[in-house]
Amino acid sequence: MYTTSCGMKDFRLFDISDFVMDEDFIRWVYENRKEDNDFWNNWLAKHPQKNMAVAEARRILESIEMDQKTISKTEVDGQVQRLLQTITEQEHSNYPVAQIHTIRSSRKWWYAAASVVVFATAITFFYFLSNRGAKASEFAYIKQVSSRHLIENVNTSEKAITVKLPDGSTVELAANSRISYANDFDSSSTRDVYLSGEAFFNVTKNPSRPFRVYANEIVSKVVGTSFSVRSFEQDTVIQVTVRTGKVSVYSQMKAKNNDNSFKHGEIMVMPNQQLLYQKEDESFQKVLLKDPIMTEPMAAVGDRGNEDVPITTVFKNLSEAYEINIVFDAELLKHCTINAPGIKNESFYEKLDLICKAIGARYEIIDGQIIIQSNGCQPN
Amino acid sequence: MGRCRILDDLTELTIYLTAVKEYSLQNEATWMQRLQQNDEEALASLMRLYYASLYNYASRFTQDDGLIKDCIQEVFISFWQRRETASTILSPKFYLLRATKNKVLKSLHKKSQQAMSDSLQEEYPFFYEFSIERIIIEKQISEANAIRLRKTLSLLSKRQKEIIYLKYYQYLDNGQIAELMSISRQSVYNLLHDTIQKLKDLWHGEFITR
Repeated sequence: MYTTSCGMKDFRLFDISDFVMDEDFIRWVYENRKEDNDFWNNWLAKHPQKNMAVAEARRILESIEMDQKTISKTEVDGQVQRLLQTITEQEHSNYPVAQIHTIRSSRKWWYAAASVVVFATAITFFYFLSNRGAKASEFAYIKQVSSRHLIENVNTSEKAITVKLPDGSTVELAANSRISYANDFDSSSTRDVYLSGEAFFNVTKNPSRPFRVYANEIVSKVVGTSFSVRSFEQDTVIQVTVRTGKVSVYSQMKAKNNDNSFKHGEIMVMPNQQLLYQKEDESFQKVLLKDPIMTEPMAAVGDRGNEDVPITTVFKNLSEAYEINIVFDAELLKHCTINAPGIKNESFYEKLDLICKAIGARYEIIDGQIIIQSNGCQPN
Repeated sequence: MGRCRILDDLTELTIYLTAVKEYSLQNEATWMQRLQQNDEEALASLMRLYYASLYNYASRFTQDDGLIKDCIQEVFISFWQRRETASTILSPKFYLLRATKNKVLKSLHKKSQQAMSDSLQEEYPFFYEFSIERIIIEKQISEANAIRLRKTLSLLSKRQKEIIYLKYYQYLDNGQIAELMSISRQSVYNLLHDTIQKLKDLWHGEFITR
């Protein structure tokens, strides 16, 4: 497509506007590729009378640069996940759902939710309906399981058992819990398991095949991480606790609403956080674990270990070590320093107490984050 | 600090644009094939590749982030549902841009509770903020001159801004621009030419002294 010296285009005849509209010229200005640079520098050396026109054309192109929002890779990945999920749900919703439609008629979202659940999981299907006092026949349950070719592990013992999944991920299945999953995960774009009860998951990394845990009303989705889910049928709260990595959780109820506008929120659960889902009012609440563990050693503050260091650095290091968000006003705290070489072996909350005491600050835990409240410090 | 960020963004944009061009030439054909074989990952790749472009284009018509995201989702879902006929699509990027524009304009229209009318294609907004930071930095013109420049640039009509956008940001050819803007190829050329003429006059002598 690109013609150099002897192509169809004769740049000698070009005026400023022609250059500005020429795609090869545009690419040179905007992309700054080596081959284009070579060509144009060479060409200009041969046709010096065109220097002015080229310079002006360049300026015009540069002047129409535009403000734009950059979109992070994470954001795009999130949208891709959302798309794949919708598509999977739509395709599975071709499964028979007729019997569901008679269960309840007063609330419209129920239809959407029910059709999601019926494809999603045989087990959840069964418990879900029995939770709501509906009559789901044992036959329908068996039918759903067999149509999806799931393997089921049931732990009837008193102790947790370890289940190895086809992708190498391991599951510590608690007593009285059961889990179902496909024979192999290769035929699907996701790794889906269905849980009733409690389990701790250690998921092998595979960014192209997200791992999803269906636990009654909620779905937890990860790429590779360790976390636990507790969802017994009699529980009023479903818990998702994250040890490492990030887990995204959404409610199947909200995953699809009537007008198809996809307004469901995915909630990101970070290490040391626990997400509680209240079945009663279908609400999520994020809390911090009672004893957070460090995901990496805390970076040392100060070189000699006995000097005043900015409090903001200490918060930053603490936040990174535990992957817990600490929110503070950096401007307000800029004169605050601390001399605390000893901060090392205390628990997270002990460390936090020490630091806050030193600068006369308080903290609150809101939505799984630490919010620092302080009046600031006087400059020395 | 602010300036460094802008430069980073620009570098990112350039890398991205280069990637788009190369990828699209090599892989568009294979993706269309894979789509027809029900490969969801092919759809995911297309979305990853074009998401920024589509989002950016959609944000010319509305600043409603939620609406834009929903529209793009819907565009890809109907793209997936029509994958059997995907082979008739010559350029997925163009197809997706057009679908996104239509979807966004329709949603905006619905939102404003008006009946559908022919004015839809003409009476839409087109947001386009010229970024002057780059010329301030690279050409070292004074901030006052740059602000004056931006002011003049912003006097371009909506149509002129849109045509510049489609040509210089989305790299569309005149035929595709004509279809997207519902005007003839000749009008595209004329409009483009007039716009550039305006920019040229603007630059002459006044803003840059070397």
